Amino acid sequence: MPNLGRKSKVLIVIVLALALMLIGALFFPVPQPGIELSANYGGGVGPEPFFQLGPIYFTNTLIASFMSILVLAGLFYFGTRKMKLVPTGLQNLVEAIVETLLNFFEGVAGKENARRFLPVIATIFLYVVTNAWLGLLPIFNAIGWGEPGTSGNLLSSIAGSVFPEYDGFIVKTALFRPANTDINVPLMLALVSFLAVEYWGVTAIGARHYAAKFFRYGQLIGALGLLVRGRVKSALSGIFYGGIDVFVGGLELLSEFVRIISFTFRLFGNMTAGEVLLLMMAFLVPWLIAVPFYGLEALLGAIQALIFAGLTLVFATLAVTPHEQEPE
Amino acid sequence: MRYRVGLAITIMLLTLLLSSCGAAQELGINWRGLLGQFIAFGILLGLLLFFAYRPITRMLNNRSQRIKESMDQAEYIKEQTAKTEKMVQEQLAEARRQGQGLVAQAEQIGERLKEEARQQAKQDAEAIVARARSEIKAENEESIAQLRREFVDVAIQAAEKVINRALDKETHRQLIEETLKESTDLKKEG
Repeated sequence: MPNLGRKSKVLIVIVLALALMLIGALFFPVPQPGIELSANYGGGVGPEPFFQLGPIYFTNTLIASFMSILVLAGLFYFGTRKMKLVPTGLQNLVEAIVETLLNFFEGVAGKENARRFLPVIATIFLYVVTNAWLGLLPIFNAIGWGEPGTSGNLLSSIAGSVFPEYDGFIVKTALFRPANTDINVPLMLALVSFLAVEYWGVTAIGARHYAAKFFRYGQLIGALGLLVRGRVKSALSGIFYGGIDVFVGGLELLSEFVRIISFTFRLFGNMTAGEVLLLMMAFLVPWLIAVPFYGLEALLGAIQALIFAGLTLVFATLAVTPHEQEPE
Repeated sequence: MRYRVGLAITIMLLTLLLSSCGAAQELGINWRGLLGQFIAFGILLGLLLFFAYRPITRMLNNRSQRIKESMDQAEYIKEQTAKTEKMVQEQLAEARRQGQGLVAQAEQIGERLKEEARQQAKQDAEAIVARARSEIKAENEESIAQLRREFVDVAIQAAEKVINRALDKETHRQLIEETLKESTDLKKEG
């Protein structure tokens, strides 16, 4: 390698990148991705599932889910197979993962609650992040069923004589599709999070106390009693504040359910958008342009997992905190 | 319990409601998919509980327990060392004190012995001096007596020669003795 200045090095890299993109555009065009929100559940909306096992449809997203499960289970199985007091190799990694999560949980929820929350919330985190990162593998969305055909792209529509159209096999139903882009995955996680939070809340402070957070009729009923006894003035203010209390309780109850929807669509939207972004970037200019977006998506996957787990953790901590100690 | 059943029913109704409308179908909400995902999550949770959370938290507990024990032990050893050091110091001080006591005692004994020896010597010397004195005195008296006797004889001989006749020896002796006595008395008085 000849001794070159900084400027010429940068120039060489730029020229190489442009050349790669040009070669990609000239000789390896990419077909327009067929974007569908639904996975292949059939039923008139999308392609039929690959096969059915009783009530379970094996779709491309479920296969991806099982891939994630396999990866995680394999990692932790081999990491904890021969546990030693002084860790080595893979044990270091898996211990670091669990310990980092546990420390994070302890920081938010306290030592005792963290141990209780760990299995469910850590599983949510690991599932989301593994789904997201596995979805970046090149086998996703590229292998599957389809048919030969032609597909134009941006460059060929601008200068058709220079840039060729895609002509070849076009995947209609991918064998693997990132699991997080199937709305049933975020919805399932949101429901798990919701159920777990309610369960923890009820078992930690009792069903009566927990329900009292949402059904705050005490003051209103007391005020009505005053009205019956004829103390009109104090009864009226009691009814006013009691009414506000009931309304706030209703809002609290509603927000518990709204969380399911916000959880679902936050994850689904982010992941689907990321997937579409990657496909479109690869489609617009083949090779190289999509690379930085892969880095972005890797980061986003981790962030979304962290948000999902973190919010569940915060809601769980709020649910198990008795009302008197609830921070204002 | 009743609360949880109610909750489950609410969720089911909510899901049914959502999956029944067209928009939900377009999005891909599907109860079969949801069921499959629940099963997948359950499997994952079980596997991770078995392979990850339980063994790793147990290991973390073990390790922290072990570290705590080691630290306690280190603390104990440190304490023990300090205690031993203190004991050694005390023993040294005790030994020093005892040694000083012994030395003082020895000095005292030596002093006493010296004193005794001095006393003894003094006594001995006095005794010797006294004896010598008495001996001298005795000898003195003896020689005085001797001298007197000789002197008397000489005086008698002289007197015999002077008067040329023998005097009654005994009578003269008495006479001279008296005279001498008077003279010595005179001398003493003088």
